[in-house]
Amino acid sequence: MFKNDERYWDINLLNKWFAISSLIFLVCMVWMFIDDNDDEFKDYQKEFRKLETAVIEKKLTQELEQVKNDRELYESQLEVAQIEFGKNTNELEKLESTLQDLKDRYYVENNMTFQAYKAEVDVTKYLIEAENAHGGDEKKLSILNKRFEKENAKLYKYKLAKQKTEIEIASIENQIRNIKSNVKEKEKELDNFLKQVELANNQLNLLDRNKMSLQNKIADFVRDLPILDFMAPYYKVNQIVVRDIKYDVNFAAVPQVDRCTSCHLGIANPDFVDAPQPYTAHPNLDLYITSASPHPMDNFGCTGCHAGRGRGTSFISSSHTPNTPQDKKRWKEEYDWEKIHHWLQPMYPKKHTQASCFKCHTNTSDLAGAEKLNFGLSLINNSGCNGCHYNDNWKSVGMAGPDLRKVNEKLDKNWVKNWIKNPKHFRYNTRMPSIFEQANQEDPIVTKRNNTEIVAITDYLFDNKKIENNKSKNKYLGDPENGEKLFTNLGCMGCHISEEDPQNSPKINSYSNLTKLQGPNLIGLGSKVSSEWLYEWLMNPHEYMPTTRMPNMRLKNDQAKDITAYLLKSRNTEFESTEPPIAESEIIDLVALDWLKKVNPDKYAKSKLNKMSKKEKMLLIGEKSIRHYGCYGCHNIDGFEDAKPIGVELTYEGSKPVSKFDFGLFHDIDHTVHDWIENKLKSPRIYDRGKESAPLDLLRMPNFHYSEEEIEAVTTAVLSFNSDKVGEPLLAHLKKPDVYKEGHRLVKKYNCQGCHLIENKGGQLVNTMGAPEYAPPNLNTEGEKTNPDWLLTFLENPSIIRPNLQVRMPSFHQISNEDWDKIIQYFQLIDQTKRLYRSEHLVDENTTEYHAGEKLHEFGACNNCHFYGNEFPKQAASTWAPNLALTKERLNPDWVKEWLKQPQDIMPGTKMPAVYLPTEDLLSVDNAEETWGQELVELSGNQDAMLDGIRDYIWNIKGPTDISDLVKDYFEKNGYDFNSDEEEEDEWGDDDW
Amino acid sequence: MIQFFKTSVDFLSAPTISFTLLTVLFPFIFPPTDWFDKVNRKLGIYKMWSHTGNIIALILITFFFVVGYFDPNFNITLTKADNFPIVLMIYTMWYFTWLAMHKAYINDERLEKGLKPEEYNDPDDKVLVWPDLVYIEFIALILFMVFLIVWSILVPAPLEEPANPAATPNPSKAPWYFLGLQEMLVYFDPWIAGIVFPMFIIIGMCAIPYIDVNKNGMGYYSFKERRIGIFIFMYGWVVLWIYLIIVGTFFRGPNWNFFGPFEYWDPHKLEALNNVNLSEFFWVKLLSKGLPTNPIIREFMGFIVMFGYMFILPIVLAQTWLKNYFEEIGPIRYTALMVFGLSMLGLPIKMYLRWAFNLKYIVSIPEWFFNI
Repeated sequence: MFKNDERYWDINLLNKWFAISSLIFLVCMVWMFIDDNDDEFKDYQKEFRKLETAVIEKKLTQELEQVKNDRELYESQLEVAQIEFGKNTNELEKLESTLQDLKDRYYVENNMTFQAYKAEVDVTKYLIEAENAHGGDEKKLSILNKRFEKENAKLYKYKLAKQKTEIEIASIENQIRNIKSNVKEKEKELDNFLKQVELANNQLNLLDRNKMSLQNKIADFVRDLPILDFMAPYYKVNQIVVRDIKYDVNFAAVPQVDRCTSCHLGIANPDFVDAPQPYTAHPNLDLYITSASPHPMDNFGCTGCHAGRGRGTSFISSSHTPNTPQDKKRWKEEYDWEKIHHWLQPMYPKKHTQASCFKCHTNTSDLAGAEKLNFGLSLINNSGCNGCHYNDNWKSVGMAGPDLRKVNEKLDKNWVKNWIKNPKHFRYNTRMPSIFEQANQEDPIVTKRNNTEIVAITDYLFDNKKIENNKSKNKYLGDPENGEKLFTNLGCMGCHISEEDPQNSPKINSYSNLTKLQGPNLIGLGSKVSSEWLYEWLMNPHEYMPTTRMPNMRLKNDQAKDITAYLLKSRNTEFESTEPPIAESEIIDLVALDWLKKVNPDKYAKSKLNKMSKKEKMLLIGEKSIRHYGCYGCHNIDGFEDAKPIGVELTYEGSKPVSKFDFGLFHDIDHTVHDWIENKLKSPRIYDRGKESAPLDLLRMPNFHYSEEEIEAVTTAVLSFNSDKVGEPLLAHLKKPDVYKEGHRLVKKYNCQGCHLIENKGGQLVNTMGAPEYAPPNLNTEGEKTNPDWLLTFLENPSIIRPNLQVRMPSFHQISNEDWDKIIQYFQLIDQTKRLYRSEHLVDENTTEYHAGEKLHEFGACNNCHFYGNEFPKQAASTWAPNLALTKERLNPDWVKEWLKQPQDIMPGTKMPAVYLPTEDLLSVDNAEETWGQELVELSGNQDAMLDGIRDYIWNIKGPTDISDLVKDYFEKNGYDFNSDEEEEDEWGDDDW
Repeated sequence: MIQFFKTSVDFLSAPTISFTLLTVLFPFIFPPTDWFDKVNRKLGIYKMWSHTGNIIALILITFFFVVGYFDPNFNITLTKADNFPIVLMIYTMWYFTWLAMHKAYINDERLEKGLKPEEYNDPDDKVLVWPDLVYIEFIALILFMVFLIVWSILVPAPLEEPANPAATPNPSKAPWYFLGLQEMLVYFDPWIAGIVFPMFIIIGMCAIPYIDVNKNGMGYYSFKERRIGIFIFMYGWVVLWIYLIIVGTFFRGPNWNFFGPFEYWDPHKLEALNNVNLSEFFWVKLLSKGLPTNPIIREFMGFIVMFGYMFILPIVLAQTWLKNYFEEIGPIRYTALMVFGLSMLGLPIKMYLRWAFNLKYIVSIPEWFFNI
């Protein structure tokens, strides 16, 4: 083509270069294919295939083991049948050939002839009809009619012939079936018997290449080859698209796509409970994943709860988050794990997964299975977080701390100063957080400033108020020993403890322990309040503080004096002898000037300061400090009625990207949201480390001294406040009206669960009382049980229902009718009933049921324990039970029947036995009528009717409904000392009844 | 020793120092006049275009990256997938500059001796398109594909989170090839740095063959025959483009603050940047008056400066220093050269004004979105 000497380059050299580079290119292409198909999830799937094979093989062996013995039996039966069948082969052959002949004949001779002739008859029929419609020629018609008749007669003959052959065929077929039937049946039996084995075997054949035929082996290999694997690969990405949960990509919301099951292959299979990760089955398949559970995988996916990058198909790219630093270290070593910074919703560490429950269950902190979240939400309420942090997602009701508007009546100034400085010093487990003496206040000047602020706050609180010094009045002190008994027995410990030793005090690690600390731990009161104040407070808490959560215990004067004496016995001498902080005058000027400078130019600030008296300066500092530290978030303080909370809003805190959190200047805390919150709670001022902030710019969140468990729970709860978009069908809280949420919060606010079991939570007072029958009743079916009208009356003005209880339902005068209504509706919603009005249950005294009920009632001897109006029970006070004359007002008729049937189901531990109902057998013996009475026999074992009868009889019991005075009088005379001898009265159990 | 090296690099790479160093050294490396050439020869700077010079330079660059790789702070920026092209760019930029200059110096010597340039191909200076050109291009194409495939396998695409206008990354960086433009944004209003300058760069480069009528040095490498042209171009390309990209990539950290390559990117770092407009200098600082409300009057100093720079200066130059040149190329070419050349020169001028006087804008009319 070209002369070589015209060329600038040597063509052979270029050819070589071309060849080499093409080869390299080819190698790269192959490498690219390999790299493209070398997915991490495929390795896991290969491993899982082995695992699954092993599991199924094991299952197969087990199944084979199980069928081993009986299998021979079935097989031998089949064999016998087959031998029997063998004897009949000749006959069968003969029959089969006859059948074939018949069938052929039928087809050609009978059926074909019949059908062909029928077609001709139909033609004639048509001709007649056409003539009828259009022509109407009589002659033609008569000919046609005659023909039609003749033809029909012939057709009928053909039909008979056809049917005759059909019968013959059927009979021969039947004979053949009979011969074969035995074998078939035995085969079927064997198959049925070996069903599980077959199933396992089939599964194994699809999994285990060694068991495949050559073609299948090749196909199994080819299906996963690159490019060809678009059709039906074995190793593939498993994907769940969740329409109702959206992932926010800022300009659009896309459905959540989870590929987690590409590696977590055994997640829904109970066979893999003990398999290693990532093949382990979900630990709670009853609640999650399976289609029968309330949270099926197809509706919720995986990241709906766990968060993380659902589209990821490798360990790192799916944004796993280690649960502990140890996990993190191990992951780094084993998987080269690293955080992916660009995924905004990293997976929750296992310890905080419950945060997701709140996405759909936003109206309760009693969610079954979410104990940590419940605990965290309750802590948020109790600690008063909302006082400083507005939170639309979890509002708490009321203030966390006491009203300080009448603090002068209760406390003296020095006590208040020392308390503000370090509340723990007085009460080791107080809920009041420490605002001062914190990590970022160690600078001596800051300490001095803080002291000044403390004195100023105290001055502000006591400003314009008369200071009463009545510490020494003894006339309000009664018998402390009796006071201690009353403290234990009346139910004070539903909300309070009195425990001086931190070792013995309840560990705050669960909601039920939290209810014990609803009110303060009542120690050191002798160093704190006067006997007069305490006495007045016990007698009527609402007078001192109308918004208090403390109820009125309806104490008698003596009782209140006794309790006062008991509580004031405890003193904290160390605290008493502590010198209160003092305000140095130059520091006062410094602090006051700083505050004045905030709103005034320096020059004016200074001249203003010079004009102020010391008192004015202190009031200024006091007011500003209360505002600065947000004291009014938890306490009612004069002048701060409309003040706004000082903290960050927490409504969507869990969705805040990690970049919005200030981790301060140090790098020792992992940059994750949960680590930030955990460290903030552990040491609220931690992010001030190393910063050169002015005293008024220091972080000021107080220290709640939470334990590890509390920190974890509160963090879970804070993470749960998020802005995730969940579709309506999944939102569990929409299934209950708002009033449920409000009632729930009221129940929490007044700590009903300290004494009562509600939604299966709470009722810790039982432990103090010893046995459930002496403790406040559980309220598990309260909504179904009580007449709402009566319940409202009772709640507003409690009367004695259970005469054998010394513990009493207090009067919550601070709860309004509206709030009671919410609480009652809440009870009803728990039981899924709604009963605002109730019609009168009318009783007909003349029915058989009624009389049968009366009879049963005699047998049951209800009056051994129950009051009948004024009529006392026959047995001793320890077994006394509610007044039956009250039943018609108090209870719902349907519930009473349920209760009579099985009281232990509704109220475990109750002394009420199930009503004995005679069975039909007993009622049908000869002399039944003598024993049971005519009416009962008439009902002939109809239990429902019997229960109707008893219920109606009870409904008809007359007498006063409120027996409170009666009972009180009795106990006043006879005392309450029966708890000790409770053994003797237990002579009849359910069995003897 | 290494620590000393790192500290010195951190110190030298501050834009004020490194930019000044580069600008001052540049004419000695690419001498545009005889005097610079003399100094160049005397100091032996031309030796950097020898083979030894190349190897030493490559070793130095590599040493820098190796030290950087083992430095905990530089490692983070250096190993980012986004920054891989910059590392490649530094090598290729050096190598091709070296190659051209190396060949140019050889040819210059040959031309001085009266020989033909090396590229000259006997008998009549002709090579075939096929196979001599196309075949080689094809082989290069295949090898480049190989390189791209290997790159894409070894370094996965650096994807980030979904874009969110409420939470931009800090620092927000343009793609690497735009980082020079982004660096200009520090000194200029977006409409200049983002629109006018890029357009001028493209149009200006298209205009080069029409402005530069020098017929020498075509078809072969040569420095001496067009040394002013090469100097100006190389200054624009290496200092005002490549250097700014490197600064934008390696030296700009959170809040677009400057960090030496071995410094930790502390998001809390603060730099005092209190910039003042020319009008404020004039009215408030000089005349102790308030700013006039009419923007035209307020900014009249700026307009005068800009008018003087863009219109008076070229005329003065045409009458004096560049008189011969003006006569040689004629008014149209001269005008085009001045528009592009003065705009290009505007960048370093503005940079120095900023560093020296904290000057924000020469003309500042934010009411009309017009700032220079």
